[in-house]
Amino acid sequence: MKVDRIQDEGLRASLQAAHASLRAGDHRDVVQRAGEAYIELLRRKPELLQGEGAMPQMRIFMFPRLCAHLEVEDGRPVAVAFDRENIGFPEAVTYYEFAVDNLVREGL
Amino acid sequence: MKFGLFYEHQLPRPYDEETWGPEDEHQILKHALEQVELADRLGYDYVFEVEHHFLEEYSHSSAPEIFLAAASQRTKNIRLGHGIALMPPRYNHPARVAERISTLDLVSDGRVEFGTGESASEMELGGFGVAREEKKLMWEEATRECVKMMTQSPYPGYEGAYFGMPSRNVIPKPLQKPHPPLWVASSRRETTMVAARLGMGSLGFAFETPEEAQERVEQYFELVREECTPIGAAINPALAVLSSLSCFETDEEAVEKGREGTQFFSYSLGYYYSPLGAAHQPSKTHLYRNFRDTPEEKRMGVLGGRGFGGFGGGNEEVEPDDEVKRALWRAAKRGGCIGSPDFVRDTLRRYDDAHLDVMIFVAQSGARKHEDVMDSIYRFGTKVLPEFKERHEMHEKWRAEQLDGVEFAINSSI
Repeated sequence: MKVDRIQDEGLRASLQAAHASLRAGDHRDVVQRAGEAYIELLRRKPELLQGEGAMPQMRIFMFPRLCAHLEVEDGRPVAVAFDRENIGFPEAVTYYEFAVDNLVREGL
Repeated sequence: MKFGLFYEHQLPRPYDEETWGPEDEHQILKHALEQVELADRLGYDYVFEVEHHFLEEYSHSSAPEIFLAAASQRTKNIRLGHGIALMPPRYNHPARVAERISTLDLVSDGRVEFGTGESASEMELGGFGVAREEKKLMWEEATRECVKMMTQSPYPGYEGAYFGMPSRNVIPKPLQKPHPPLWVASSRRETTMVAARLGMGSLGFAFETPEEAQERVEQYFELVREECTPIGAAINPALAVLSSLSCFETDEEAVEKGREGTQFFSYSLGYYYSPLGAAHQPSKTHLYRNFRDTPEEKRMGVLGGRGFGGFGGGNEEVEPDDEVKRALWRAAKRGGCIGSPDFVRDTLRRYDDAHLDVMIFVAQSGARKHEDVMDSIYRFGTKVLPEFKERHEMHEKWRAEQLDGVEFAINSSI
């Protein structure tokens, strides 16, 4: 599984737990964990948020916005904000795969 | 690897006129039927037809079931794909989709591919009152129930979040049992992984590189084997991707005849799927004129200011990070299958080596001439396609290995 290719032990364990939640039908937990893992990626690689014009916001914007999004407020850490509580299976998969793919691609 | 054609029925307004001529829509559909007929004779495997509404110039294909039904009576073997049917119930009630898919399957002697999706343009979502934030939930619910309607007698009825109906026997039933192969539009990698988990084919409208396709293929089949809970009564393990097709005797001629159409495809797609599209003025906005009046290196501005790379002398050679924008950016570049038969063959071998199941060609786009589209379809069909037909047996063996141990019923045309 691609999740096993995440090198950071803590992040890998969290997304493996998200995977278990996906199979168990706990979709909210999947989205929460995926969001937190992605935020951690951005924290560890601040260069991803650097650039000119709209580019710094691109990484925030790329995060799926199906049932939750990343909230950015001045002076506060980026956080996962849920837009609703009923979350479908395909939505949970989308967040999970997004997080796993980005972490693997960025070498974490 | 198998091959198909992909139709949006693009119809740019004439540059010097405010609107189309009285025969233009008639002609684009009749021409497309001729092209599909030729493709069938040459051995192409699929024609996929979109469903879009109100996207002037970009897509005049709002009733694909009618076009595919017409195509079914002019062809013998080519499979007839919805690429895709819009599933949120405000677009199409699931029972009406089931009835139309089944009827098309019957009149075509079992040649339907049932592609599903949601759309994302504000013109369509707003036009039908579909809530953007819940469209994926709508898609899943409607698709799951629609398939039951094709397989259960009677359908026991349903009260869901987005539609409900009492018990009825939804008739007719499809010729293919338990139902035609299921697909879902996958413009993002994540959706491909949703497809695998639900046992659906992935219609990847993303212009992937062979390397990306290979990675997706590996992950997709791994998930089919280990994590699949089918949404239907049979799985369709299959991956398809899109590419532009402009196949002529020389690379130069292929670029000359294929470039603008490919660019317009990307430009108009980017327009309708960006905030600009939400401000579209029906019957007034002249998209093709705007496109032509925009300097070539700036035509991708609607996609975030990136240049055209190989096509327009754009300064920006770095691909966009965002997956959707990257797909559009690539569509506008030379590459894909725009070139001589040798160039196209070499490109496709890389996808074949990546074990891709289907390559779907956008041959008709922008203001490309019908004669050129026919020429391109013919040249590819006679000079490139036969080699891949011969190689398909190897691919079938590879697929059998991938699916070894999978216990679900399979209905796939690969």
